[in-house]
Amino acid sequence: MMESANIHVNRLPDWIQRAFKSRKAIRGAHSALVGRFQRFQEILSLNNQILQHIADANNKLSGDYVFDQRYVHTSSKNIIGLVEKLVYTLDALAPGKYRTLRTVFTRIQTEIEQELSGHQTKVSTTFVINYNKISHNSMDEVGAKSANLAKVHSDLGLKIPRGFALTASAYHAFMTVNSLEPMITGIYKDWKAEKISLNKASATIQSRIQSCSLPAKLEHELNSAVNSLIQGRRPLIALRSSAWHEDRQHSFAGQYKTVLNIPAAEVRDAYRKVLASLYSENAMVYRHEQGYREHEVAMPVACQEMIDASVSGVLYTRDPSMPERDTLIMNATWGLGLPLVSGEAGADRFTVSRGTSLKITSIHVARKKTALRLNMKGGTRIENIEPRMQSRACLSIKQVLEVAEAGVMIENAFRQPHDIEFAFDELGQLFILQARPLALRPSRVVKAKDLAEILSNRAILLKEQGEIAQRGIASGPVFVIESKEDLDSFPDGAVLVAKTASPVLAKVLSRAAALLTDVGMVTGHLATVAREFRVPSILNCGNVSTLLSSGQSVTVDAEDNIVYEGIVPELRDYALTEEPIEETYEYRLLRRVLKKIEPLRLVEPFGENFTPEDCHSLHDITRFVHEKAVEELIRGTLYRGRAAKRAPRLDWHIPLDLFLIDIGGGLQPGAGNRITPKEIISTPMKAILRGIAVPGAWDSKPMSVDFTSFMSSLTRTTTPELAKTGFSGQNLAVLSSRYVNLSLRLGYHFTMIDSYASERVDDNYIYFRFFGGVTDAKRRSRRAQFLADSLALNDFRVELQGDLVIGRLKGMEERILMNRLFLLGVMISFTRQLDLRMINDNDVSRFVEKFKTIVEESDGHKNQHFDLG
Amino acid sequence: MGTKTSILILDDEPIVIKRLKPSLEKKGYEVEAFTDSREALARVQEQAFDIVVTDLKMEGIDGMQFLEAVKETSPETEVIVITGFATMETARESFRKGVSDFLAKPFKLGEIVEAIAKAEAEQKKKRG
Repeated sequence: MMESANIHVNRLPDWIQRAFKSRKAIRGAHSALVGRFQRFQEILSLNNQILQHIADANNKLSGDYVFDQRYVHTSSKNIIGLVEKLVYTLDALAPGKYRTLRTVFTRIQTEIEQELSGHQTKVSTTFVINYNKISHNSMDEVGAKSANLAKVHSDLGLKIPRGFALTASAYHAFMTVNSLEPMITGIYKDWKAEKISLNKASATIQSRIQSCSLPAKLEHELNSAVNSLIQGRRPLIALRSSAWHEDRQHSFAGQYKTVLNIPAAEVRDAYRKVLASLYSENAMVYRHEQGYREHEVAMPVACQEMIDASVSGVLYTRDPSMPERDTLIMNATWGLGLPLVSGEAGADRFTVSRGTSLKITSIHVARKKTALRLNMKGGTRIENIEPRMQSRACLSIKQVLEVAEAGVMIENAFRQPHDIEFAFDELGQLFILQARPLALRPSRVVKAKDLAEILSNRAILLKEQGEIAQRGIASGPVFVIESKEDLDSFPDGAVLVAKTASPVLAKVLSRAAALLTDVGMVTGHLATVAREFRVPSILNCGNVSTLLSSGQSVTVDAEDNIVYEGIVPELRDYALTEEPIEETYEYRLLRRVLKKIEPLRLVEPFGENFTPEDCHSLHDITRFVHEKAVEELIRGTLYRGRAAKRAPRLDWHIPLDLFLIDIGGGLQPGAGNRITPKEIISTPMKAILRGIAVPGAWDSKPMSVDFTSFMSSLTRTTTPELAKTGFSGQNLAVLSSRYVNLSLRLGYHFTMIDSYASERVDDNYIYFRFFGGVTDAKRRSRRAQFLADSLALNDFRVELQGDLVIGRLKGMEERILMNRLFLLGVMISFTRQLDLRMINDNDVSRFVEKFKTIVEESDGHKNQHFDLG
Repeated sequence: MGTKTSILILDDEPIVIKRLKPSLEKKGYEVEAFTDSREALARVQEQAFDIVVTDLKMEGIDGMQFLEAVKETSPETEVIVITGFATMETARESFRKGVSDFLAKPFKLGEIVEAIAKAEAEQKKKRG
């Protein structure tokens, strides 16, 4: 797959060398340019290789691959190696100019290597994050418990207590300032070598942690966060552990400490207690058994106001002993929930079934003699319940259903059965205090071994017809999307079935049990969304949208690529207990390493943040080098001898802002500083320009008949957004009579074409690369899809990976090659407006169809005689 | 039960076992998995497996030695090699030693399932 990203641009082609040699007269003057161009080519080639390596690594996160640690190591090292070469090559092109880039690279490299070797890298200096500022991206900083709770509020609109998170960085700062890490490492070593007992190891570490002081900055931020939390409210606070991985699949439930009902003055002590609980005996053993490495340990802490509860309870969204039953179980009691959790108090028990609607199936009322209440001055008190209330159900029917409904929402949103703590305050408002995945006992569920037999008796609707975009198993009623309007009535938990893997579906995907489509690519946008929400997905199934009909129940096995008729409870329950691949060490490692490699933040070349110091990932560096390489070549020292310092520029009615560098017969001899199209000799360059100039493609000038209907949809209005999509950068073409290397930046689109066209069919090729970014993801993906489809229809070998589209064409007749270059020109021209125009997904196929027509028509008049003006 | 195809997996990276075992069991195979090549060796000397899936580079007895030993004790066993250090050389050597398939890591689950199905078919043909 990695087959040399582009054979043609990694060295200066022989024919260019030949061209130079044969033209003795200009050899001297051009030898410097040859060298520079060669480096430029190297940069382009490295750039391509890096982007492909990154996309490849990301693909491994789909869950469909088996990879080991070695893979994570080698692939990161490969990318590091390529980026290092890239940085060196830029230095060769512009010696000494971007020295800081080297430093930045080394820093990122060190961070990645630390990740790989298992040393925690410092994340940030943010120690406190308010609950309403927590986003999906804060998971590592705030821990799962806080992140999930924040999501319950922000995504589902349920009430949660006010509060804030003390971050992983706060934890690391605490550990570092107090030099605790070496001490812990030493004790761990002794414990594992059985030199000291578990009990001794745990006690030593815990007492050391509890005797340490908080870093000054942390103490200060904690104080002011607590002060603003208790302002004018009841001054009681709860601190809960929100350790890494604690609330994800490996449920560490109960391993770490929760401190309830404390006054503000005790928050610091409580914080230390919670941190220390990271090294409780149970927690140490548990992590050891689960294969967690010590450097994966961090303890963010959740800090919340206490809710003065009139009733508290715990909800299990499935019965742990019988997960196959669709039953929710709820326990509740008067007052605070602590006696309930610790099993001290009598509790009412409610069961609710969820068929088509929620129904209470049983109520068991216990005698509740006492309740734990908040003490206004701090702490708690035990209150006697008046006799007539003792045997009354503490939740009304309405409240039971309200809690159950919240539970179902949470289970759907997180795709897992959950264990939820809740409370009603004096005003009768429901608060979710905590929501964590419910560990189900696999012993009650069918083993993988016996599944095969059960499954062999089930009716199969679809087998191995599509491609798996996200692994997983799910069941539910089918809902076929016929039109965009159908999306509004998409029911929670249904199996989403559609003709295309359209990005429009992303809107409801998080609520879908599974996804099946007739066509679609596993590297496309929707697949990425499916992976984000872990929706089991099979794309490209061929005819699933006609095969299945709405309302019909199915079970989707996106592990073995099978769709079964009806609900297969054994398979569904098996899936509930399966350990997701996402929770394995290797997967976590890859995800962490990719965080330092993949995100592209450096997008605006003219922004003041386009500096080496602003590079935060290897992708950023790659982007930076590419941009600067183009700039360097344009600036070319070669032209210093002449009047102008810069390369000559194209003078044209289309504001391409294109610099031209001739490396041999690409321009008319004696051409000056401004080049008119007529002075261009390079045949491939001319073909591209003709395409760009096709009437109507670039702007809304009167257009030829063929194009009117098509283009009118593109040029109807001019919006401010559209105004930004002009060629906004330094665009460069390096030419010879038969060769062109074109780098264009257009708004946020980056296009590269490298092509050689001659009468020798074997030498001929086109390499096209398009990379987008920044704009709205749906449109971006439609655009990429459109490009990919159009290229494929025109004989290109196409790779589509997220925003990156690569097309290759080789060994074609010159005439055909010229036509394809012309097409690329048209494509470049109207892609700049495409994002704005591609309002819905039907547009993609419409544009592709229309494109086909253009090819056919332009094939007719061979030379595309459009006036270059 | 005896009709199930038996598979032994040997890989010193627990993740590989963790992924392969349940997936293959779900497909109806009888699977035993090892991260330690000595233990695996002891096991194959006890019982002949239909198919053996092994990594090449491991501590102690490495994959080449292991697969030689497997082929020696039970020539009928089909061996599939999975390795993170795939070179033409190791591939050639493996095939010379009678390996039926050679997969470079990382691979898709579907690929190993396919390789196993192929090996099964091959074996059936040989056994007649």
